[in-house]
Amino acid sequence: MRLVWKAALWAFLLIAAFLTLFPILVTILGSFKTNAELTAGATILPSSWQLRNYAEAWRQAKFSTYTLNSLFVSAASTVGILLVSSMAAYVVDRMAFPGKRLYVGMQAFTMFVAIGAVVLRPQFELMIRLHLHDSLWGVVLILISAHASAFFILYSFMSGIPKELDEAALIDGCSRGRTFMRIVVPLLTPGLGVCALFAFRGAWNEYLLPFVFTLSKPELQTLTVGLASLKYGISAASQTHLMMAGACLSIVPMLAVYLFANKSFMQMTAGSLKG
Amino acid sequence: MRKTKELAFSYGFLMPSLALTLVLGIYPIAWAMRYMFYDYKGYGKQTFIGLDNFARVMRDGEFWHAVSNTFVYAGGKLALSIPFALLLAVVLNRGLRGRQILRAVFFLPTIVSTAVMAVVFFAIFNAYNGVLNQFLLKYKLIGGAVDWLGADHAMMTVVLVSVWGAVGNYMLLFIAGLQNIPADVYESASLDGANKLQQFRYVTVPMLGPVMQMIVMLAIINALKGYESIMVLTDGGPIGKTNVMFLYVYKLFFPTAGTGAASQIQEIGYGSAVAFVTAIIVGLITLLYYFGSKRMNRYA
Repeated sequence: MRLVWKAALWAFLLIAAFLTLFPILVTILGSFKTNAELTAGATILPSSWQLRNYAEAWRQAKFSTYTLNSLFVSAASTVGILLVSSMAAYVVDRMAFPGKRLYVGMQAFTMFVAIGAVVLRPQFELMIRLHLHDSLWGVVLILISAHASAFFILYSFMSGIPKELDEAALIDGCSRGRTFMRIVVPLLTPGLGVCALFAFRGAWNEYLLPFVFTLSKPELQTLTVGLASLKYGISAASQTHLMMAGACLSIVPMLAVYLFANKSFMQMTAGSLKG
Repeated sequence: MRKTKELAFSYGFLMPSLALTLVLGIYPIAWAMRYMFYDYKGYGKQTFIGLDNFARVMRDGEFWHAVSNTFVYAGGKLALSIPFALLLAVVLNRGLRGRQILRAVFFLPTIVSTAVMAVVFFAIFNAYNGVLNQFLLKYKLIGGAVDWLGADHAMMTVVLVSVWGAVGNYMLLFIAGLQNIPADVYESASLDGANKLQQFRYVTVPMLGPVMQMIVMLAIINALKGYESIMVLTDGGPIGKTNVMFLYVYKLFFPTAGTGAASQIQEIGYGSAVAFVTAIIVGLITLLYYFGSKRMNRYA
């Protein structure tokens, strides 16, 4: 009886795991198939491995541009989010100043109130006025502005760093700014690490924001936007192999990071429950 | 003197965060709350029309259709993903060999892009040359090609796709909740002769209550808010069958973007009003659930 239960349990788990991995496998294996095999072959493994799909996607389908744009947007916004939210978390945790609670309340508010795509329009108008709509800096700034969750994560990490350390540095004549850079930031590294993972993942996978901002500028599109536009294109049916190769370019780097850092990803998600 | 310096330092360090949040986070909300009282199509003149936009929302059949679609979509997503996630969490919480690897596998969908996966799911569910139909036809499991994204099945398909993306996240949150239940409670229950099922009913369920309440609330908000995957997969179609309220709002603001051949005009004023009503609906449902489940917790 116990054995039957155990077998049933494992059958359930393996089927669930297969269903979870199936779309990812379709993408990775499909990226090496010809378009004909993909759309009619009903094969699991490619009958011949078409490495040229990647060459074609990279050159003709402009995925080189998309990848570089994605890298730029993700890297710049990650750095920005870490900088902006660690500075804010430092003063909110260590200093006393009027308006502190209002600030924290405002951050919580932006996290919970969602009115959808509406905000994109005034954001776009602002970027036009700042002359930032012709580059990806507008997208980067908007991504940085959504740093409430990073702020709260770093805030909780910050309170775990003993105050005595920066007090000692201050007494020794170190300025506040230097104390932050030399004492606090190094001790904050674990928190910054998980925040970086989350910020990078968010920016790398973001779709709507770069989509709306690059509607008329294909040279600024990111991987997600470029890939989805392939699907909308008139020759979509003959480009399924390119879609799969492009999807891999977006998925595989994240998978590689996940392979090494899945514990951090999962810890942070679980940690958000307590926060 | 020192005090002033400290204050200047504080505000200086807070400034980048504060400025960005105010300008790009708060101002757009205020902007929308102004325009919801205006008739404005994105260009030309803006006319103050008081509450007319809201009267129009009440009469807008397409919007309320989208609202009812949203309830079907969110309801289906919750009904499938929450029990499934809880089951996986209970199984993978402790004891089982290989649980770390399985957890990582089930959590994997949450790290890849929703939009990218929607493109992949399109290649899978597409009626004419989709991967799923190829296999089902090959092994004679279906007589003819099934139109998974057609009017009859599209809602089911978008729900399944969203469940695929959500289960791992809630599983992990449930595991975190389960880890907070002390092991000795289970020990004393099993000493008293409770079997696994009874332990689940009389220890796990009541002790998980508050955490469960939070996770479900989060899941409700996410399910009502999500539209990115639907947008790429079906664009709300066919014939509006998978149109959800946030997608409807999006299309009022960006009518020509996306697949939509819709030559609909931009509706800035009206769209803002619809967005406001949508936010209120989400808020009300969340509150309703919060107070309803609080009562339930008391009697569990």
